[in-house]
Amino acid sequence: MAPKMTKAASLSLAAVLASMSLLSACSSNSNSDAGNAGSGGGSASAGTASSPAASGKQVTLKVELFDRGNSPSPYTITNSYLTKYIQDNFGTPNNIKMEFVPVPRSEEIKKLNVLMASGSDVPDIVFTYDSATFNRYAQQGGLTDLTDLLNEHGSNLKAFLGEDTLAYGNFEGKQLAIPGKRSILGKYASFIRTDWLDALGMKVPTTTQELYDTLKAFKEKDPGKTGGKVIPYGMTIEPAQYDPLIWSFIQPTTDEQRFTLTQKLGSNEYPTLLPGFKDALQFFNKLYNEGLISKDFGLDKDKKQMTQDVQNGVVGFLTEDYPNLYYAEGTYENLLKTVPTAKLDPVDVLTNSEGKHAKPEYAPNGMYIMIPKSSERAAEAVKYLDWMAQTENMLALQNGVEGENYEMKDGIPIVKTDAPQDVIDRIYNYGDIVILANGKFTGDEEKNKQAFAAGFPPAYQENLRKALDISVADTFKPVLIDRPIEAESKYGTALQDKYEEMIVKAATAKPANFESAYESALKDYMQSGGQAIQDERTKVYQETK
Amino acid sequence: MNERTSNRIFDTVNVILITIFVLICLAPFFHILAISLSSNRAVMSGDVTLLPIELDWNAYRSVLSDMSMIHSLGFTVFLTLLTTVLCMIMTIAAAYPLTHTKLKGRKVFMFIIVVTMFFSGGIIPEYILVKNLHLLNTVWALVLPGLISPFYLIILISFFNGIPKSLVEAAEIDGSSQLGTLVRIILPLSLPVIATLSLFYAVGRWNGFQDTLLYITKTELYPLQLKLYQLVQNNMISDLTQNEGPSAMAATPESLKAASVVFATVPILLVYPWLQRYFVSGVMLGAVKG
Amino acid sequence: MEAALYSRSAGEEIGIMRGTVYLRRYWQLYALLVLPLAYFVLFKYGPMWGVQIAFKDFNFFQGIAGSEWIGLDAFREVFHSHDFFKTLRNTLMLNILDLIVSFPAPLILAIMLFEVKFQWFKRLSQTILYIPHFISWVIIGGIVYQVFGTQSGMINNFIVSLGFEPIPFLTDKNHWLFTYLATGVWQSAGWGTILYLAALTGINRDLFEAAEVDGAGRFKRIWHITLPGLKTTIATLLIINLGNMIAIGFDRPFVIGNKMVMDYSDVLSTYVYRTGLESGQYTLATVVGLFQAVVGLVFVLGANFASKKLTDEGIL
Repeated sequence: MAPKMTKAASLSLAAVLASMSLLSACSSNSNSDAGNAGSGGGSASAGTASSPAASGKQVTLKVELFDRGNSPSPYTITNSYLTKYIQDNFGTPNNIKMEFVPVPRSEEIKKLNVLMASGSDVPDIVFTYDSATFNRYAQQGGLTDLTDLLNEHGSNLKAFLGEDTLAYGNFEGKQLAIPGKRSILGKYASFIRTDWLDALGMKVPTTTQELYDTLKAFKEKDPGKTGGKVIPYGMTIEPAQYDPLIWSFIQPTTDEQRFTLTQKLGSNEYPTLLPGFKDALQFFNKLYNEGLISKDFGLDKDKKQMTQDVQNGVVGFLTEDYPNLYYAEGTYENLLKTVPTAKLDPVDVLTNSEGKHAKPEYAPNGMYIMIPKSSERAAEAVKYLDWMAQTENMLALQNGVEGENYEMKDGIPIVKTDAPQDVIDRIYNYGDIVILANGKFTGDEEKNKQAFAAGFPPAYQENLRKALDISVADTFKPVLIDRPIEAESKYGTALQDKYEEMIVKAATAKPANFESAYESALKDYMQSGGQAIQDERTKVYQETK
Repeated sequence: MNERTSNRIFDTVNVILITIFVLICLAPFFHILAISLSSNRAVMSGDVTLLPIELDWNAYRSVLSDMSMIHSLGFTVFLTLLTTVLCMIMTIAAAYPLTHTKLKGRKVFMFIIVVTMFFSGGIIPEYILVKNLHLLNTVWALVLPGLISPFYLIILISFFNGIPKSLVEAAEIDGSSQLGTLVRIILPLSLPVIATLSLFYAVGRWNGFQDTLLYITKTELYPLQLKLYQLVQNNMISDLTQNEGPSAMAATPESLKAASVVFATVPILLVYPWLQRYFVSGVMLGAVKG
Repeated sequence: MEAALYSRSAGEEIGIMRGTVYLRRYWQLYALLVLPLAYFVLFKYGPMWGVQIAFKDFNFFQGIAGSEWIGLDAFREVFHSHDFFKTLRNTLMLNILDLIVSFPAPLILAIMLFEVKFQWFKRLSQTILYIPHFISWVIIGGIVYQVFGTQSGMINNFIVSLGFEPIPFLTDKNHWLFTYLATGVWQSAGWGTILYLAALTGINRDLFEAAEVDGAGRFKRIWHITLPGLKTTIATLLIINLGNMIAIGFDRPFVIGNKMVMDYSDVLSTYVYRTGLESGQYTLATVVGLFQAVVGLVFVLGANFASKKLTDEGIL
């Protein structure tokens, strides 16, 4: 034992020594960064950056940046191709030193709260997806009103976002946030094992009733020969799985009902009080008790189990975020490795009482980009965003270098998936750098879709395109309210949990106990803030009418 | 049934029970190891249990070729050593005086300390304090706020109390100063508990990352566990795909996560076997007592 | 230090004042305490002004000092909340169960290890037993699911293959308690043995030899020598444990828990996370924290008092 230990000790000593030398190497690296300016990238024009070093004194612009711990070597989160590109093409010409402040992705709100509360040292540009957090900061008076700055420095920015999107950053008449923009608004699509249908000689179901019959047939006849392991309808306790089913049961509503009875929890709308919600749970309950949906769906918080089941070829039908199955080395590819004859095709099945495939779509905004009141660099911050909004800059930030990372074809950047790894790594976190955009922007919506599809393995692009088209068919938009619902900020997160608890409890109750399970869960939900939200929404509706 | 057989039965049953528990404790580690060595497909299909399927070393190749991981390992070793040494010095310095029942103010001191086990200011004032002391983005932000754990301090006091008073008194009669007694009598007799608490501090620092989330934004000062946390946790935020939709990054492969876990766990696992040598010094204590 | 030295020589000249004798004996002890006390004052009491958040309508941009006083409003809100009492009850229930099951586990395991004669086996198993402590809860959560799941968990696969009904380890709240406790024992028992093993090295070997000569059986020996040798450690840990009766870690109930067993798995820490920190309501989180602190302090002082009366062991 002893000699082994000394070996381990000397190894760790070596590690310490190595790290010491690394430490010094790193710091000297970062020092030389500034000196490097101007050498890298440099293909795109500098846009607003036409008067280099005009004012003489260099200022620092601090920008928040999500850190997901996935920076490929040799990059670090604050020192990568893209951060250099921004420094060289926006920072240096404008005499601005860009400083990116990494914030762990999963702790962003906590960290942001602490930074805000501590008063100083807050980045000049911060952002969050959480509308409750935005509302809170806005209400407590901690954000800069950007109306004038946008008029002065933000012409490209305004053109890029458009009035529709900008409206989401409006708080009681002030522009307190710049919302990011979504390129594609579709959310969900359904998928079915068409090879199973063929084996049973059945047609693709087109209504919820037909789907039910199909699920029954999957269960009884087990066309996939899974040895009884068949899960006709893959289910989890994630919105992508339960949302489409529940919304398809919601009955046509008046504007007033839609406004007052919907509850927005976090960034999603929930139909808890809308007519039809109970029917949805009743159907859920039926599916569960007849063994048609995943038995442990209430445990599947991250779709892990369902994804495994799909890959193992035991799931017949599912709903999912439309692109999720078709990524390279993703679910569909793995399914084909297990069951080479499998066909999992996008379909539009779930129908509402009018026979429409009604489903929700995203609001057109992405994250809320904010400039704290304490920031002294608000003008520079808007200039930066304006620079980013310019077509050629966004193209370069999202796609890398033409000819190396992508080829232009009919005005659409086609990603070269066979590029060397170090070339691909250049833009590994473009989604986090380009905070203005949620998805790639290449011009109009159709082009965005094509560009998005082009990023997928060629063999699945057709299916992906179909799923995408399904996801935007028969959709309805979330309600935009021009003032915050305070109760939603306060109870939103807690109610999300209660909502899912309600689904699970109502679905898994014995059919005879459904009524009481639903009633008591709903009561708990209403007591925990649901009632407060309904009251406030009703009040706001009457005031704005 | 005589004494010897019953002893033998006891020993056998004992060893068997321990072995079972050992195997249960080992299984998850093998599971993680197996995942780190399996192909992505096998992992994603849930086929992997205790042995690798479709053996694949790529995950380790990419962990070991990632300079930031190696750098982070070095920094974490340094941080852990520094923390452990300082924490032990401070804890011993606090514990020894508080074992003297005649020390005036002892009860007040103890009360002051026990209160901090329950009351704390919360993360915002703690952050502001660290900021005002200009410790943000320095290694000290990760060392100083946790210098003494009241819990470990109380344990150390109770162990010090277990040392026969006669030894201390004898030393005093020989003209030893208080510090002299501490260094020459108390510490040598307390090696097992000192080893234990050092291990606790070291492991606590090695595994801790919550403070780094708040206090550190410089990537050179990222400890391993923070990197690990980001790898393992960041893709698990429930509304991530909901919000980010197609712009969400491709998930980190499970095998890479597992390999990183192995990489970040094995070094600290080796500390205990090495410290075990200090767990037999009871022999010496017995000798002194005798 | 130097100042203290001078005062000592000055004291010698004056002679027999009792205070001086006392100081001469103990000044080094006070010197030792200076830094630790400074640490506690600066880093532990320094931020404690933050406790006033509980009585204020906390505004991020006004800061703690600038926020408006609201008196006991936040306390009223918490104590009127249905979830608060449910989670308080669950916290107590899980902690009491842990006290009965998980607290003795490392003690028993440590004694079992101590009785092992083969040194290599002892060392090897000690090293392995503490591995689970190093696996983060996120990962444990995934493993628990794979092992205990109803539909495809390893245990239930086995049970079903024998022709029995699967056991809802994770989805039925009573079964879930078992899963919660088993996971806790598995994760912490090996780690907990370390301290007991350290304490066991302090037992005089002669006692064991004497017992062997007397022909005392193994259980008798454990009862009369080993356990008394651990008395102080057990008492210390027990008192601290009792002080933590209404405090509960976040990860374990959160990771092992799920929507189907919220009636039991929802505890104070998850409640605070959900209603307080996640929603930026620091006031609410602070109120609950303050409540836990007061109760914890009362419990620990009470336990210490009782222990002193009963066993003469205590931490204060």
